[in-house]
Amino acid sequence: MNDYENAVEIKGVTKKYDGFTLDNISFDIPKGCIMGFIGQNGAGKTTTIRSLLHITDINDGEIKLLGLDHIKDENAIKKRIAVVFDELPFHDVFNAKDMAKIFEGMYPEWDNDEYMKYIERFQLPQKKKIGQFSKGMKMKLQIACALSHNAELLVMDEATTGLDPVVRDEILHIFMEYLQNGERSILMSSHITSDLEKIADMVTFIDKGKILLTGYKDEIIEQHGILKCGKDKLKEIDTEDIVSIRTNNFGAEVMVTNRESASCKYRDCVIDPASLDDLMLYYVHRDVKEWS
Amino acid sequence: MKLYRSLIYRELMLTRKRFILMLILFLLLALLMMTPLILVFIFKPVEGEESPLEMIPLFVGIVALTGGFMAGTNNGLQKADISSGWKRYSFVLPPTAKQQALSDLLTKLCYILFFGLLSWAFEFVYTAAADYSNFGIMLYIYMLNIYLGAVCAVMLVDIAYSYIMMYAKDKNQLKLISVLAFVGAGFVFRVFGLFPGMNKAGKPAEDDAMISEEAVNKFETILCSGKTTLCILAVFVVLCVLFFLAMWRSHERREP
Repeated sequence: MNDYENAVEIKGVTKKYDGFTLDNISFDIPKGCIMGFIGQNGAGKTTTIRSLLHITDINDGEIKLLGLDHIKDENAIKKRIAVVFDELPFHDVFNAKDMAKIFEGMYPEWDNDEYMKYIERFQLPQKKKIGQFSKGMKMKLQIACALSHNAELLVMDEATTGLDPVVRDEILHIFMEYLQNGERSILMSSHITSDLEKIADMVTFIDKGKILLTGYKDEIIEQHGILKCGKDKLKEIDTEDIVSIRTNNFGAEVMVTNRESASCKYRDCVIDPASLDDLMLYYVHRDVKEWS
Repeated sequence: MKLYRSLIYRELMLTRKRFILMLILFLLLALLMMTPLILVFIFKPVEGEESPLEMIPLFVGIVALTGGFMAGTNNGLQKADISSGWKRYSFVLPPTAKQQALSDLLTKLCYILFFGLLSWAFEFVYTAAADYSNFGIMLYIYMLNIYLGAVCAVMLVDIAYSYIMMYAKDKNQLKLISVLAFVGAGFVFRVFGLFPGMNKAGKPAEDDAMISEEAVNKFETILCSGKTTLCILAVFVVLCVLFFLAMWRSHERREP
C-alpha cells in the first residue's frame, strides 16, 4: 500500500487554455515532505492542482499520486488523499455533524472520533449551519474533514489565503503534527511565502505556466543571494549569474543564482541571503532584467 | 450500502425545503378536492351529473397529475452543487460517477414512491369516504397511468435540462440552448400534429365544447387500460435508464 517513493510525480504535464498554457511542467514530492507551491496569481498553481486531481483533463504528460496513475487508479487514489480548497465547497444548510454523516459513508477510513476531536480543538459549533460560519471557521471545518480519514496526501489550494495570522499559525501547527509519522505528504499552494518558509521542506516556483525552480527550500534559499552594489558596478557582473536587477536611487540589488561563487567573484560587494519573497520577485522580473 | 446512505442523505437533506414546500402545496390541493365530498355529507346530497361523487375521477386525476409533476420535477441539486463548489469537490471524493448517478436516481425514485403512495392514499380516502365504487380497480389503474404519465413527462424535461446544463459553457449559452430546446420541442409537437388522426383542428367539437365527448370517452378508455399502464411503465423504465445515463455523464464530465 505504501510502497512508493514520491507522493506526487508530475512529468511533462501540458494543459492548454485560450491565452494560457501550463507548459511541460515536471516536479516530484517525496513521501513525508511538505511541498510549497508558489507563484503569483494566474501563474498556473490552481491549473496544476486541478490537473493532478483530475478535475480537468491534461493535454499531455503523466501524473502519479501515491505511486498510482491519476486517471487509471483514480478510485484507489481518492480514498487516500484529502483536498482543501480556498473556498469551502460544502452547502450552507449543513452543519458540522451533517458533514460527518456524509463523509463517513464515503471514506472507508473515516474516523468520527478524530473528526470530533478536531471540531472541539477548533472550537467549531456542531449544530450551527455552515452558512453562519466565519471564513476562518469554514476553513477549519474543511481541514477537519480533510484530516479525519487518514489521508496519505493532503493537497491544499490557497487554503490559508484570507485567514488572519493567528488562525494561519494554528493551522500550520496542525499540519506539522499531521506529518509526524513520516508516511504523509502535503502539497500546499500559496502566495503567502511566510507560511511556506515556516513549514515547507521543498518549494516549487511556477510562473507563466512554467516551473522555474523546484527543490529543497533550504538549498534554494542558500544558493541564491541578493548582491548589493552601485549602478556602475553592474557592468562587471556576469550576466549568467544574474536572475534580475532591482535598481533604486542608491544603487542596485542583484539576485545571483550562486551565492557562494558570487561572493568569491565579486569580493567588494555585499551579498545578503534571499527569502522566498525575494525569489518570487526577482524571478518574476527575469525577462525585463532591470526593474525598480 | 453505507456509501449510498451517505449520498442519499446528502441529497434528501439538500432537497428538504423544496420537498416540504411541494408537500404543503400537494396537501392543500388534495384537501381542496375533498371539500365538495365533505359538503355532500353535511348538506343535502346532489344527485346526477352535478353530484360531487361523479367528480371523483376528476379529483383523483388532478391529485395524481400534481403528485406526478412534483415527484418527477428537477430538484435543483445540480445547480446548487455547481454554485456551492461541491460539484468540483466531488471529483476528489471516493464515490465514482456511476455511484453518484445511482444515488441521484434512487433519490428521485424515493420522491416518486412517496408522492405515488400519497396520491394513492388520497384516492383511497376519496372513494372510501364517498363509498364510491363506480370504477372499482379501474380507478386505481386510471390514477397510476396519470401519475406515471406526469412523472415521465417531467422526467423527460429534467433529462433534457440535465444535458443542457452539461453542455452549456456559461449562463448565456444555457439560455440560448434552453430557448432552442423549447422551440425544438414545439416543432416536434407541430410535426406530430401533421400525422393523420392527430390534427383535429378542422373538426369542431359539438355544442361549442372544447373537447368532444367522443374524444373524452376515447381518452378515458386509454387512461383506464392496463395496456396503457404497461406502456407507461416501459417508458418510465427507459426514462429512469436515460436519467441515470445523463447523471452518470454529468458526474463524469471534467471541467474544461
